[in-house]
Amino acid sequence: MKRTLLVYLLLLLLLASAFTSCGREAQKFSEYSFDYFDTVTTVTGYADSQQEFDEIADEVFSLLGEYHRLFTIYHRYDGMENLCTVNELVDGAHRTVTVDRRIIDMLLYAKQAYEMTGGKVNVAMGSVLSVWHEYREDGMDEPWNAQLPPMARLQEAAQHTDIDKVLIDEQACTVTLTDPQMRLDVGAIAKGYAVEMVARQMEQKGIAGYVINVGGNVRTLGAKPDGSGWTVGIENPADDAEDYLAYLQLDGESLITSGSYQRYYVVEGKRYHHIIDPVTLMPADYFTSVSIVCDSSADGDALSTALFCMTYQEGLALIESLDGVEAMWLTVNGKQYYSSGFSGYQTEY
Amino acid sequence: MNRNHMNNEKTSSTAGKGGGRKLRNDIIFIAALLCAVICLGAGFYFLRPGGDEVVVKVDGEVFGTYSLDRDTVIDIRTGKSGEQLNRLVIKDGKAYVEQASCPDGICAAHKPISRQGESIACLPNKVVITVQTRDADHGPDIVA
Repeated sequence: MKRTLLVYLLLLLLLASAFTSCGREAQKFSEYSFDYFDTVTTVTGYADSQQEFDEIADEVFSLLGEYHRLFTIYHRYDGMENLCTVNELVDGAHRTVTVDRRIIDMLLYAKQAYEMTGGKVNVAMGSVLSVWHEYREDGMDEPWNAQLPPMARLQEAAQHTDIDKVLIDEQACTVTLTDPQMRLDVGAIAKGYAVEMVARQMEQKGIAGYVINVGGNVRTLGAKPDGSGWTVGIENPADDAEDYLAYLQLDGESLITSGSYQRYYVVEGKRYHHIIDPVTLMPADYFTSVSIVCDSSADGDALSTALFCMTYQEGLALIESLDGVEAMWLTVNGKQYYSSGFSGYQTEY
Repeated sequence: MNRNHMNNEKTSSTAGKGGGRKLRNDIIFIAALLCAVICLGAGFYFLRPGGDEVVVKVDGEVFGTYSLDRDTVIDIRTGKSGEQLNRLVIKDGKAYVEQASCPDGICAAHKPISRQGESIACLPNKVVITVQTRDADHGPDIVA
């Protein structure tokens, strides 16, 4: 009788241990926000409790918020200089503005990105992009009256996009735009750059097993707790698509997709998206999407925009000249192309 | 002391006839218990409520959860007095936004979603519609 009791006790213990070990395993949590960079931000991660996850996610959101307020060109905030105030004219000229160190660092990176992409990524193109922005906003407010910006106006604006006229004094932490007609617009790199900076700060605190996704700008922080990489499915925007464009396995890398389906307006039945080629001053129409895999989400953001505005051959040459960067192109006809090392990240599903 | 006692009992019980029957009963009982546990687990897995479903969140709060197995139309009304609308349609196991009050209409142009992790977001109305399938473990961790 005692033995039977013992067997039952053992069984009970076994079951109990099975349940408690389930409880101890880190669980997957996810939280999103609409507050940053005019897109949806999702933080996903493994934590032992909702509270532990919330603390980390809140910190990511809070840091992203700081970058968002510094880099936005559409809002000014009391008692703070940001790119919106750098763009302002006072008595017909730009002031020399003392800014946060993070703005200086980002603009220095922007100049590097300009060099890296052969001028396809130019944060001094705000004059041109603001014309497109105005027509897109009007076109969305009154779709029946949507129009394209007149080419003459775009060409006039394009006279004021010389990035060398963005003067940066690193010592004094100041920015001066020496062309009064010039405007900064960091939309092509701000998200990716901010995500990279936030990710690095979190990594320095030892955070791993998280993913920050700001509107298709995915940065993984380490692997999952079981040591395996994150499987990321790249969405196929085609209506009749049965599967993802690709499945990737990421372990600390970034994946950035620039797509014509992410932001656009419609004029006379045709979509006009937001990625403007600095040469034609029109939305680039080579591809439906371009995805970049590399370590830095900042590089990924700049390169995905740049490749979107180049032919496949030009883009491939650029990617193959860079270490640790791979790309996938989806043409408007639905054909997929890959750089030589892209398959190294691909996984079966 | 205790250990000796247990060993003694073990020897005596397996030796006797009555002990053999007892052992058999124990085995049957344990097997039945294991079966019950497995059935319970399987029941939880296969019969858990919802199955494949879409979760609608508005500005971070859950607005509703709807089965993908039942065709339906849901008006997601948001804004101070419900003036904003995203009409969610679930049909043939897929979910899509049929009509929306937002200015860009990007959510309504999005293709129907049905696979784990796929989502449709409406930025102006702060609506996110995400698919959660029963075999969530087999889909990608992230969709981008």
